[in-house]
Amino acid sequence: MSGLKEIIREKLGNDADAFLCLKSEDGAVLPVLISDVGSPDLEAVEVGEARYPLPKILAGLLAAYPDKRFAVLVRGCDERAVIELSKLEQMDLDRVVMVGLACTTEEAEACGCPRPYPNDIALGEKVEPAPGREIIAEVESLADRERMEWWREQFSRCIKCYGCRNICPMCFCKDCSLENPHLVEPGVIPPEFPSFHIIRALDMAGRCIDCGLCEEACPAGIPLRSLYRKMQEIMADKLGYRAGESLDEKSPLSFLGTEADLEKLE
Amino acid sequence: MMAETSNETSSPDGIRILAFLCNWCSYAGADLAGVSRLQYPANVLDVRVMCTGTISPYFVIKAFQEGMDGVLIAGCHIGDCHYLKGNYMTAKRFQVLREALRFLGLEEGRLRLEWVSAAEGEKYAEVIRSFTEEVRALGPSPLRERREAGAGAVKA
Amino acid sequence: MAEKELSYRLVPSTCTYCGTGCGVLLEVMGGRLAGTLPQKDHPVSKGALCIKGWSCHEFVHSPRRLTRPMVRRDGELVETDWETALKMVAEGLARTRDEHGPDAVGFFASARCTNEENYLLQKLARVVIGTNNVDHCARL
Repeated sequence: MSGLKEIIREKLGNDADAFLCLKSEDGAVLPVLISDVGSPDLEAVEVGEARYPLPKILAGLLAAYPDKRFAVLVRGCDERAVIELSKLEQMDLDRVVMVGLACTTEEAEACGCPRPYPNDIALGEKVEPAPGREIIAEVESLADRERMEWWREQFSRCIKCYGCRNICPMCFCKDCSLENPHLVEPGVIPPEFPSFHIIRALDMAGRCIDCGLCEEACPAGIPLRSLYRKMQEIMADKLGYRAGESLDEKSPLSFLGTEADLEKLE
Repeated sequence: MMAETSNETSSPDGIRILAFLCNWCSYAGADLAGVSRLQYPANVLDVRVMCTGTISPYFVIKAFQEGMDGVLIAGCHIGDCHYLKGNYMTAKRFQVLREALRFLGLEEGRLRLEWVSAAEGEKYAEVIRSFTEEVRALGPSPLRERREAGAGAVKA
Repeated sequence: MAEKELSYRLVPSTCTYCGTGCGVLLEVMGGRLAGTLPQKDHPVSKGALCIKGWSCHEFVHSPRRLTRPMVRRDGELVETDWETALKMVAEGLARTRDEHGPDAVGFFASARCTNEENYLLQKLARVVIGTNNVDHCARL
């Protein structure tokens, strides 16, 4: 990781007050904020397989330190998150410098996201995406009633840990619908089918950037990523929008509408 | 709304439909249908909203959770929205909501979006007739069945 | 306005709420606990947490925490000093043990205390009061 350490030194010298990346500590990899080239953390910088929602941490830092500039290590998904969060007014891109890291072939295959590399690649080499659609296809092969039973079974394992929401880089609402007692009854586990999960899925439409952290954080192995990936497909199909791609084009669900929107509809 | 739905309505065959009607167009259209003494099935509960653009997808989910077999959203024709572009939002949201519910296995025919103007009493009646028929053919909603059976959730 | 010094770090730790011992990363921002993230490569929890784990930091700065001993007088909780409070507790526990026997007293340890504090509590229960009635909030 010497390339990354060099880049960190360079950024701290010029562009940024602090660099958000990953380091190794006692055999584990975790996020670290380095604000000083002399810091011992710089020597410990390491990128492993473990992935963390760095854009989420970054959003918190930007809010807590309104006068500081931050550099951040981004994979393809992180960059999509930063772009989308800036359109949702959670991030001031004038104070953010992204350092791009491309995922390896193994990582891309394990992940299955549509673009396992950021726009500007500073580290690593671009590899082909290995999009994973098997679970979506399996669900689509089932008839209505069977489909519902399939999802019921999956959601029946939900322990309402809120891990999917807590770790999602795109979730930032102060008043979360999932905690609204009229929508999701408190104290009921598993949550009544399908309220918790369809609410989350609807909120992810036009927002989910397919990082997969939700599914990794789920203790019950629920195929959340596939559900939200389907929402992405719906947004792309019906409304011609993909989250995290354009710096200017906002999600059609975030503003009332133009003639152009309606032309895309049936 | 919750109190109303939990009591048995006058639904002749137990099929219950919730209709969100916008104040300026479809609600007036429904009113016209009534005044004109047009006949249509009595399975529908109307909820008047100021604009269909204010209908959060959550309301529709909640309606199905509370035991509705079908949900209808009827608003102004595109271009006629009293608030100019509220129904654009409705149209966009509806696409996503319908596909999401389909993906979870809720039959497509249970959710419908129609544009009905204040002058279209006959159209309103026709929409109610055809939608009720479609929902009736599908039978009670699978979400309603499960809730009534009291499916085993642990109350913490 | 003076520039706030940049201070953010993650401290690996273990959730105290139950016997699983999931790996957590405690977010410390500006010297205060700001949040919890799971340790993705933890051998036991493997990046997942239950709702207690996700909120294991919340009680530390909670505005609902007691800062002074309180006693109930005429049905209302009023602040008091340590001497008064400890005296009341000691007298009450001793009286209950003497009048109704040691097993009339039960002790609840807490995940929000240190191991050492919980150790002392069970010593109090077993040696001073003479009962084995020791349980823990994880069982609630």
